[in-house]
Amino acid sequence: MKYFVFRNFTVEPLFSNFAAEFSGYDDISEFNSDSETFVWFYNLSLNPDTNLQISEIDHFYDKINYLINRIPATKDFYIFTLVDLFSFKWQNSDFSLDSRIAEFNKDILSISKIKTNVKIIDLADFVKAFDRESLINWKYYYTSHTFINPALSEKFQAWFLKKTNAIISLRKKCLILDLDNTIWGGVLGEDGIEGIKLGNNYPGNCYSDFQRYLAEALKNGIILAICSKNNEADAIEAFEKNPNMVLKMSHIVAHRINWNNKPTNIKELSKEINIGLDSMVFIDDNPTEREIVKEAIPEITVPEFPESPYKITSFFRNVLNDYFQIQKLTIEDVSKTILYKENFIRDNYKSEFTSIEDYLKNLEIEIVVKRADKFTISRIAQMTQKTNQFNLTTKKYTENDISRFIENGDMVFCGSVKDKFGDNGITLLAIVTFDSKTNIATIESYLLSCRILGRGIENVFLKFILNQVRLKGYSKVEAYYLPTSKNGQVSDFYKKNDFLVIEENADSIRYIRELDEEIEIKSYYKFFYEES
Amino acid sequence: MNDTVKTIMANVFRTDIKNITEDLNQKDVVFWDSLRHLNLIVELEEKFDISFEPEEISEMVTFKKVIYYINQKLVK
Repeated sequence: MKYFVFRNFTVEPLFSNFAAEFSGYDDISEFNSDSETFVWFYNLSLNPDTNLQISEIDHFYDKINYLINRIPATKDFYIFTLVDLFSFKWQNSDFSLDSRIAEFNKDILSISKIKTNVKIIDLADFVKAFDRESLINWKYYYTSHTFINPALSEKFQAWFLKKTNAIISLRKKCLILDLDNTIWGGVLGEDGIEGIKLGNNYPGNCYSDFQRYLAEALKNGIILAICSKNNEADAIEAFEKNPNMVLKMSHIVAHRINWNNKPTNIKELSKEINIGLDSMVFIDDNPTEREIVKEAIPEITVPEFPESPYKITSFFRNVLNDYFQIQKLTIEDVSKTILYKENFIRDNYKSEFTSIEDYLKNLEIEIVVKRADKFTISRIAQMTQKTNQFNLTTKKYTENDISRFIENGDMVFCGSVKDKFGDNGITLLAIVTFDSKTNIATIESYLLSCRILGRGIENVFLKFILNQVRLKGYSKVEAYYLPTSKNGQVSDFYKKNDFLVIEENADSIRYIRELDEEIEIKSYYKFFYEES
Repeated sequence: MNDTVKTIMANVFRTDIKNITEDLNQKDVVFWDSLRHLNLIVELEEKFDISFEPEEISEMVTFKKVIYYINQKLVK
């Protein structure tokens, strides 16, 4: 069973499309510990006595604490915030229940900051889309003990799925933006730099707000790129000279401003910034362009753009809610857009050298390898969930799965790469398990972020790992490749690194390599190993 | 209308429409449990834009009764 739901009302209809089991009403004494994820979904009872409602919240909090100590720390525990659905006041000046609810919600949020397996889901975010009368159906409250109208089940499940997707981080990565009538009003080629609509008056204020949201999206780890039919020089001049532009060219990771067709441009952008087409969202006011892009690139997401400028803000907030929700940002998410820029400078630098060896020597590459610990675990889990291309097995792990590997004595290596142009943060990951009976080690996961490719790091990191496995006393290491639609580029990675095929079929290739002696690593890669 | 109701029932009960006979009775089958009964009523109310009273809901335990109460509402 995927979910085990602790509840004090009938919530089954709200989970009917998910594999879920339910506790007895307000019964926390028993639960199925085989469930993948636990859910706390309680609502205040209907009680005319406000003081009794407040003490009920105290009990909720005690019960949650009891459960946190009993649910395995390796399993996720989703806690819904409390919303006063049956809200009723005897005196308008009495806010005692409201403050107790706010306090409860603050307390569970604090727990989630200490316990990594606790994730908060804000029920208010669902409730706000409905009026009170449609939220509660009194007939079903009294006949079936529901608190949310079962007629809203479909909507609830769609919403819940988005929230859980945000927790396991299935969000898109990049926004591709058109310019004319999209991030500003009017057409640059006709209206001129001063004539495009931006600023404090309608409709310019709509586009200015849109740009403010885009600039903030960047701070939240969303990559911005431009694809527009315009003269490149004119467009860049508009960014520099129009005083009302909120977005600057420095916010844009890559752009294609020319008269080529958009699908070609978008595919080039995808290569340049190394982000799959299925992680991109294309925003364009022109329905024909949207159709052409949709037709040519089925993987990309193309939302309908509103016709009236005053609808753009709400449109964009919906886009963010639908495709870019995230539970918690990591440092890597935030600095990602800067990192992509560094890569661009690095590539230009490459062309100044005659041999790749000279280039690598001059980069002053430093690779810091660490064993996973509580500081790196969230980044590691995130990497397994997000890395699709340079990933040999594409197994997705939660923070708790990673903890389990560490507890079992397996080795979880993560590495960060630095050179004279910048620090890429943690971008390397390898998980090696050990079977002491057969004396064979197995590489369960081997992956690295595509933004560090092009410096031979994928090969030296593997060599380094193999040397560590050998030092542990293992002379044989197995590895395997599981093909997906995206990881074709690594199909012969192990073969290139002197592994031998022992089994091959359509779904997987198994390899083995003997570890007789230490593998040499070129001296211009400087390794630092912190065993912790 | 019988066919519409049969389709709804088959969906809610997650069973083949062949199993939804005119003689269907809640006590004879396992797929018509109390939770699915609730889902069925919610679906019917939505589909026909009607609202059943609790007394009627507890009566609607055979296919014929379901049809009977829907008809009653639609006539009004």
